[in-house]
Amino acid sequence: MKPFDSAQRRLFGSAARAEPLPEAALGALLGRALWPRLALGLGVLLGAALLAAAIGPVGIPADAVARILLSRLPGVSLADSLPQSWQDIVWEVRLPRVVIAGLVGATLALCGATYQAVFRNPLADPYLIGVAAGAGLGATAVIVSPLDYTVGGVSLVPLAAFGGGLTAVALAYSLARVGRVVPTVTLILAGVAISSIATSATAFLMINHSQRVHTTLTWLLGGFNLSEWSKLWWVLPYVLPAAAVILLYGRILNVLQLDEDQAQQLGVNVERVKLLLLGAASLATAAAVSVSGIIGFVGLIIPHAVRLLWGPDYRQLLPMSMVLGAAFLILADLLARTVNSPSEVPVGIITAFCGAPFFLYLLRLRQRAVF
Amino acid sequence: MSSLVQRGLLLLALVGVLAAAVACEDGGGEPTPHAPPMGSAAEVSYPLTIVDTVGREVTIGAQPQRIASLSPAATEILFAIGAGDQVIAVDMFSNYPEEATTRQQLDAYEPNLEAIAGIGPDLVLLFYDPGELADSLERLGITTAVLGSVEETPESVEAVFDQIGLLGFMTDHLQEAGDLVAEMQDRVDAVEEALAGVEQGPRIFHEVDATLYTAAPDSFVGGLYKILKAQNIAAGADQPFPQLSQEVIIERDPEVIILADGAYGESPDTVKARPGWGNISAVRSDRIFVIDPDMVSRPGPRCVDALEALAEYLYPERLE
Repeated sequence: MKPFDSAQRRLFGSAARAEPLPEAALGALLGRALWPRLALGLGVLLGAALLAAAIGPVGIPADAVARILLSRLPGVSLADSLPQSWQDIVWEVRLPRVVIAGLVGATLALCGATYQAVFRNPLADPYLIGVAAGAGLGATAVIVSPLDYTVGGVSLVPLAAFGGGLTAVALAYSLARVGRVVPTVTLILAGVAISSIATSATAFLMINHSQRVHTTLTWLLGGFNLSEWSKLWWVLPYVLPAAAVILLYGRILNVLQLDEDQAQQLGVNVERVKLLLLGAASLATAAAVSVSGIIGFVGLIIPHAVRLLWGPDYRQLLPMSMVLGAAFLILADLLARTVNSPSEVPVGIITAFCGAPFFLYLLRLRQRAVF
Repeated sequence: MSSLVQRGLLLLALVGVLAAAVACEDGGGEPTPHAPPMGSAAEVSYPLTIVDTVGREVTIGAQPQRIASLSPAATEILFAIGAGDQVIAVDMFSNYPEEATTRQQLDAYEPNLEAIAGIGPDLVLLFYDPGELADSLERLGITTAVLGSVEETPESVEAVFDQIGLLGFMTDHLQEAGDLVAEMQDRVDAVEEALAGVEQGPRIFHEVDATLYTAAPDSFVGGLYKILKAQNIAAGADQPFPQLSQEVIIERDPEVIILADGAYGESPDTVKARPGWGNISAVRSDRIFVIDPDMVSRPGPRCVDALEALAEYLYPERLE
């Protein structure tokens, strides 16, 4: 067993039961410092959301947007003189889009951080063990099938994506299982293999149904053009409990950053934690992907950006990733619907194209920081 | 103008187009020795040389008897001009006319050279060359012509007439091709006549799929709406098939919505149920129609059927 150095100790926080008192105090201090940065992050998020609500391919004056939003409060009616189309656009189209983009961004970033923590691998993202590839296969299968993919007004695509994503992860998990243990490296390899099977099957389906290649590709690249309030109910029932569980495990994830044996000796039931957290993260990711398609990059880069800005303590990294992930995806989606107006750009293209340079900038800025 | 004279003129015009096509085959220089005698109309003699839509010089030695049509539009044209018996294989999207589906099937998007060569065609028609397929086939001694790639779909009904003429010429069905073009032209004229005096038609949204892909004015479908003087709400998009933002559709308030995605489960009812769409003019006045996507987007003989159907949707008061 490796000796603890003080940097490692700091990461444990009060979860490390063997921790001497002064270190616990330091951990508590770190914990307390979360609130100012959380307030800052929430401010940024609110700003991004307001900006995204105010701007769109249809030029609606900011004061009109504000009046439309305020009119939703009981007893307020400021929007009566505005065109009905503006009210529909702001309330039925733009706002659900902003909210869902934010929710998906928060989910992907949180789950990305969780995967990185559980796998102790900086390259991990929420799609690592098959959610995205499985969801893509499920969605594509429905889109190219000769049957209607809308039944009674409900699209089967998100359902198939959700099911496909979870099936892929469950397969990878059960294939990687050795007795009662699931070694993380085996799990990654199984996930990568399952992903490539699903991806090649998806490509095969696309090529054999080239008339629907546009629809399929649009879904695979992700986007929020068809957001509506009802889609919230697709996501929230999975994302809220999953996020609650993951956020409660911030300290345990800190402990897990040692190797698994050490964490075990410190009283963490490593296998149970892995199953619980990977399960929660995969469930939430599958729900997010089912409404938005496969949006890359957010889940990989946002946790690293938070790490570069504020350090690796998972008790703050998890909530801050959620907040910044939400703000980032809201802004990316704002670009997706405005840069090529009146056409849409798949948001996955924007997240990679704009997110990567910003991330490289952070990387250069904190060159001495070590992951 | 009597229909007979019109037909004669059209035929002459057609031959003129073909002569021009042949003439410019070697960079606009003098006609090549392969050029067929163009003096008398409706005379086809082999060998003949044409220039296909990607500028390749294609020489056809004798009347093709084993055509592999890897283009749904070309398939429809061939059957419509009486060359259906000369077609031995089609691509898997060639679903019209019914008889075409009885032919051997090939894949136009992921074509297999061996499969195509294996059926022994004497002429292969492509509308899309995924990468040197035409050259590979020529190397195997199989005459191949590319008639409009994916990027260069004929943008007007006139371009369809040209293709019909060209196929009539290549297969020695120039007379039937001329008749078909004349009939189509008559029907286009009738629609235009019914619309005489219309300055600006209704605002339209043509839905290609439920993710709100549409056909901009610079597409074949968009060209049909131009004939109908409709105001396409996708105007200003820089691709032929852009994906419109939902809020743009609501703001531009189409008066008629045409669904080319009925086969995917979309219907007037699903459109009406979309949040935020309730106040769109087309939804309020119940002017949402479904059209066969093949008919409307395929640059073949049925594009006139589509034109007439759309005219009725857009101008119910002018057409019964």
